[in-house]
Amino acid sequence: MQNSIKVERAKKNLTQEKLAVRAKVSRQTINAMELGKYVPSTVLSLRLAAIFGVEVSEIFKLEESDWK
Amino acid sequence: MRTHYLLPWKYKKIGWFIFIPTFIVGLYTVITEFEPEFFDVNVFAIFIEGIFQDDNRLLGFINNNILNEILGILMIISSILIAFSKEPDEDEYISKIRLESLVWATYVSYGILLLAFLLVYDLSFWWVMIFNMFTILLFFIIRFNWQVWKFRKSVDYAK
Repeated sequence: MQNSIKVERAKKNLTQEKLAVRAKVSRQTINAMELGKYVPSTVLSLRLAAIFGVEVSEIFKLEESDWK
Repeated sequence: MRTHYLLPWKYKKIGWFIFIPTFIVGLYTVITEFEPEFFDVNVFAIFIEGIFQDDNRLLGFINNNILNEILGILMIISSILIAFSKEPDEDEYISKIRLESLVWATYVSYGILLLAFLLVYDLSFWWVMIFNMFTILLFFIIRFNWQVWKFRKSVDYAK
């Protein structure tokens, strides 16, 4: 799964730390998601979408490999 | 994040505080078969094995050295406190590490037991069983804390 957390974060001018505090997770979890090492839960995805003011589907995109 | 079945973080410290001395004394008593008379007491038992099979009886009192019972109970309680107290920064990623570590610890602990089934016999197997009572929690604690430490140390590439 691809995500544009880093891009959205840059648009909102948020550091990983600030985003982590607002999303109620650790900074390392934000980092792991940006690196594509961690797929967040639905609740966390919705929180990120709410913080960025976009739809969840604008942040996360399915890849071909997600169907396998 | 809402978590189920986990204890508050402060219990982790209490757990370590009980665990370390218990572990040291426990290891010493197991190796030296240390059984001070002070701990010889009459205890209630639900099944009592006699010398001959006809002497077996249910419910009664027997004399027993309770040091190993005390240590075993303290080991289990303190291990559970350490293993299942929340981390101060518990979030869904740490929950993932928690689950993976529990699966890992179960595999390793039973893996060792399987090997012991095939390679260790008679009274030596009794020793394996003694250690195996505690290894799931022990392996979990080691692996979980190691992974969480690595996770916290992980650096971000761009702020």
